[in-house]
This record gives sequence, C-alpha cells and structure tokens, in this order.
Amino acid sequence: MPTDAAIEAVDLRKTYSSRKRTVTALDGLSLTVPTGQVFALLGPNGAGKSTTVKILSTLATADSGSACVGGFDVGRDARRVRQSIGYVSQGTSADARMTPRENIIMSARIRGVGAGEARTSTARLVATLGLDECADQYVKTLSGGQRRRVDIACALVHAPQVVFLDEPTAGLDPEARAALWQIIVGMSADNGLSVIVTTHYMDEADRLCDHVLLIDHGRAVVGGTPDELKASIGGTGLTVTVPAAQPDDVRGAVETVGVVRDLVVETTGDDVRLAVRTDDATAALAALTGALDHHGLDYGAVAVSRPSLDDVYLRYVGHSYNYEGDLT
Amino acid sequence: MTTTAVQPVTVRQVRWTTQFSQVFLRWTRGQLREPWGIGTSLFQPVIWIVLFGAVFSTLKALPAFSDGGYVTFLIPGILMMTVLYSGAWAGQGFIMDMDSGVMASMMAMPLRRTALLAGQLATQTVICLLQAVTVLVIGWLAGARYSGGVVGLLVAVAVALVLCVAFSSVSNAVALITRNGIALIGIAQIIVLPMTFLSSTMMPHDLLPGWVQNVATVNPQTWAVDIGRAALNGNLGSADGLAWKAACLLTVAALLFFWSLRSLRSFQRAQ
Repeated sequence: MPTDAAIEAVDLRKTYSSRKRTVTALDGLSLTVPTGQVFALLGPNGAGKSTTVKILSTLATADSGSACVGGFDVGRDARRVRQSIGYVSQGTSADARMTPRENIIMSARIRGVGAGEARTSTARLVATLGLDECADQYVKTLSGGQRRRVDIACALVHAPQVVFLDEPTAGLDPEARAALWQIIVGMSADNGLSVIVTTHYMDEADRLCDHVLLIDHGRAVVGGTPDELKASIGGTGLTVTVPAAQPDDVRGAVETVGVVRDLVVETTGDDVRLAVRTDDATAALAALTGALDHHGLDYGAVAVSRPSLDDVYLRYVGHSYNYEGDLT
Repeated sequence: MTTTAVQPVTVRQVRWTTQFSQVFLRWTRGQLREPWGIGTSLFQPVIWIVLFGAVFSTLKALPAFSDGGYVTFLIPGILMMTVLYSGAWAGQGFIMDMDSGVMASMMAMPLRRTALLAGQLATQTVICLLQAVTVLVIGWLAGARYSGGVVGLLVAVAVALVLCVAFSSVSNAVALITRNGIALIGIAQIIVLPMTFLSSTMMPHDLLPGWVQNVATVNPQTWAVDIGRAALNGNLGSADGLAWKAACLLTVAALLFFWSLRSLRSFQRAQ
C-alpha cells in the first residue's frame, strides 16, 4: 500500500471480548491523514478514538483491515513504524521519579539518537516547550500541564514523521490547554510533521485542527476541514426548548413546518429540545413558535447559532454531542 | 515559541546494549530515589536472621547442626529466601507502569522486548546483590563462618542472583498477564511461603517429613540453597548432584524469562 499520505487505514475492525461480553471497538473504520496536518479524531467516549490510535501506533493489533504509517505497515513492519512515530498515551509517558531532562534523553537514546545529540535535542525541546524552570525537578512534582509537555517532548525528541496524542488536553485547566494547543499547532509547522490528536473538545478541534474526522460506534461518520464540515450542513441552527413536554407531541407539532430541515427532537431532563437548520431564521422561528402555540405547547429558551461542529455532529450522527452521557 | 521544537536529528540503528542500559538506568534511578524501598529490602534479611536464629536456637543441640551451629546452617537458606521474596515483588514495577501509561509509551517505541525486560531484571539483580552481601555480613556478625572461602562466597552469591532472575521473571509474567497489583500480591504470597518451607531452607533435607522431602527435591529453592550451602561450607567438591541442580536452576531461570517475554503479548492483546 505505497502512499504519500502520512497514514492510510482501511477497514479496521477490532473487538474486545471478555467472558461476560464482547465489545466492538472498531467496526470497519477507514481514514487517510495527509502529511503535515493536525488531524483530529473527534467523538464521544467509546467511539473508538483511542483504539484507532493504539492500532496505528502498533500498540494494539486490529482483528482485520490494514494500516500504513509513514509508508510502513503497522503489522508487518511494526518496528519501523515505531521508529518513525511518537506516541503520547492518555496517561503519562514520563517516569515520575526522573526529571524531564532525563526522561527526554532516555526517549532519544532508546530510539537510536547518539548521546551528544540527545542532550542538545533535549535542551532545545526544553527551551521551546517552556520547561526550563522545571527541567531538572522530578516529574512527580510538576503540574499537569508541565507533565503533558514533558510527554510531548519525549515523543518529539527523535524528530518523528507522525505524532499521536491521545486526549492531550483532558483534565487540564483552560490556560494549560491553550498553551498546549499552541505547541501542537506549532509542531505541524515544523518539518511537515503530521499530528493525530484525539479530543472531545469540539471547539478546540474546530479552531485548531486542519482536518476533523467524526467517529461514532467504531466508524468514521464524516471528515473534512472544519469549514468544509460546517459548510456542508449550511444555514443557521435554531434550538427551541419546550419545558415539560413529550417528544412525540413536539415532533408532531413542528413536523410540517416548511422552512426548516434536519429536525432533531431530544429529551433533556423533563424538557424537550428541538433543533433544526434553516436558511431563513426569522421565518423559521415564527413558523416554529406558531406551530408550538397552535398545539398548546409553551416554549422556553430559543437559541440561534451559526454552524458549529456540534451542529455537524448532530446532523450526521443524529443525536447531540454528549461526551459523558449515555448514547443508547 | 521562538524556535521550532522539532529539528532533524540523526537516528542510527540502535544497539541492544544501549537500549538495555537505558532501561537499567531508569529502574536503578527509580530505586535509588525511593530510599524507603531499598532500605526496607536491606533491613528485611536482618530481621529474618535474628528471628529465625532466635526461634530455632535450640536446634544447635541436634547432631545435624553440630559443625558450625544453626546460624551457619541457616545463612545460605536466608540468603536464598531473601532474593526469592525480593524477586517475587519485581512485577510491581510493571503494574505501576501499566497503570500510569509509561508501559504503553515504552511499547510504542522501537525498544526490543528483551531489553525492556532484561534492563528491569538487571536492576532487580543489583538489589539482590546488595541484599546478598547484607545477609552474608550480618550472618558473619551473628556467628556464621564460611569455610568455603572467596570461591564459596562468589558461587553462593551467583546462585542467589540466578534464583533472583527466575523469580523476578515469574513476578513480571504474572504482572503482565493479570495487569493487577492485588492479583500479583496474592499470587506472590501463595508462592513464596510454600517455596520456602517445602525446601531445605530451614531444615536439612533428611529431617523433613517424607512428602515434604519429595516436594523439596523438585523445588528450585532447594537446589539454590543446597548449592549455596555447599559453597559456603566448602563442600562443593564432595556434595552430591550439585551440577545437576545448577543445570536445572539455570534452565528454569531461562524458561521463566521466556515466559515473561511471551507475557508481553498478553499485555499487548489487552490494548
């Protein structure tokens, strides 16, 4: 499978089975990551993001399907794939009982960087990732944001072609997240490095990634640049909350309204939330509220929004993006 | 950011020894920076010598212990028991790595699996070496005498290190397969006590009950204790079957290392 793309994966399938149950993590996922981009895998818990990254970084093996990273097959040529990638796990990559500098040098030496070059490369990373002050303190004494930067430095020190970051910003405060994203976006500008990042922050993926792939239930749902995805659904989003109502009543009331499309009716607590897209927000709002009034349904909050990735998710997956919630 | 983080570096074909020494350095630093861990591991054999020496002090009246007394008899047993206990916990380090995410990062590097395990075993072996020296010194202070001389001491320590590799490998394999610290503790407890008591650690083989003798004969702990005891007492030439016991011990240690190597696949399957 020779290719110019940084990553090419075709029809990946993976199930995890225990005595009690079998879980399908990937159900025929395919993706292509162009070289030199920040590529986001976006989806709720259990969608298959981490499994995809683990297979592409040779940590796990797929039940079937094939994948090439940096031109090497992840199954047959795992060692060369490992040589050309950096991987930052969801946990930590750095040994807590060593200093950032020691950790980064170790990562370089294990991968075949000579002792002298490992030290200079480490010093450069320490400076560019803002780790000067803590470079010689034990990792266990560092903040979450600093630790994450150490993990990333360990993954970059051998100048890989592809870097995988599994939920790099999870659990960080907004300031640390912003600083980390600045680094991630900066990375891809260097030497055509391709960055594959999993995230559940829609707004971050929207603003900072070149390409977004939405994943749900182990399948790729839709992919493109954030602008392409938002343009593909078009129009303006309208959401209307109807307190203490039945979804079927709400659906029945607004189903025949003409100027709207992509109707989604969902229950949130005791309330019902209806979401539509329209090219004429004023007319649509009048028509929707009119229809609700006509059926004796009171409505509460009304929100008008330009297309966001949340809307893209809603449109293609068919339910709201709810990272923590159950999606059965 | 003023300069770019990623700049080209020369990546060469990496030698096994480089990877091994990096892994060894990592675990050794970790051990040295946890003074409590290394401190207790050195203090533990002292307690055993005092404890067992006191409890079994009346045994010196028995003819079996006539030459040199019970302490001289006991020290080789304590030596092997110490490394057995120490090795049985070795897998705890991998459990911590699996929980933290370090293990996943290591496995995604082009790090040879043998270097990953051997580097950790080497650190474990150094700890066992320190423990062995401690046991022999404390034993000497407690009255034990090593008529086997320098050769005897070296042979006894070498055998202890082989036993350390064997049991560290068991512990690593169990850790990688179960991926669970509680399971590792449970299994270590179940293995370690019977291994010690169903062997010649505390009692000469001939004084053990019949069925215990049978078990002890095939117990690697017995092989190690018998060789160590013969070496320290200067009986390497005269004792029976030592070559066989040494060969069996080395074979078992090698097989157990391969088992731990294979167990890495079990970890990978669970990813």
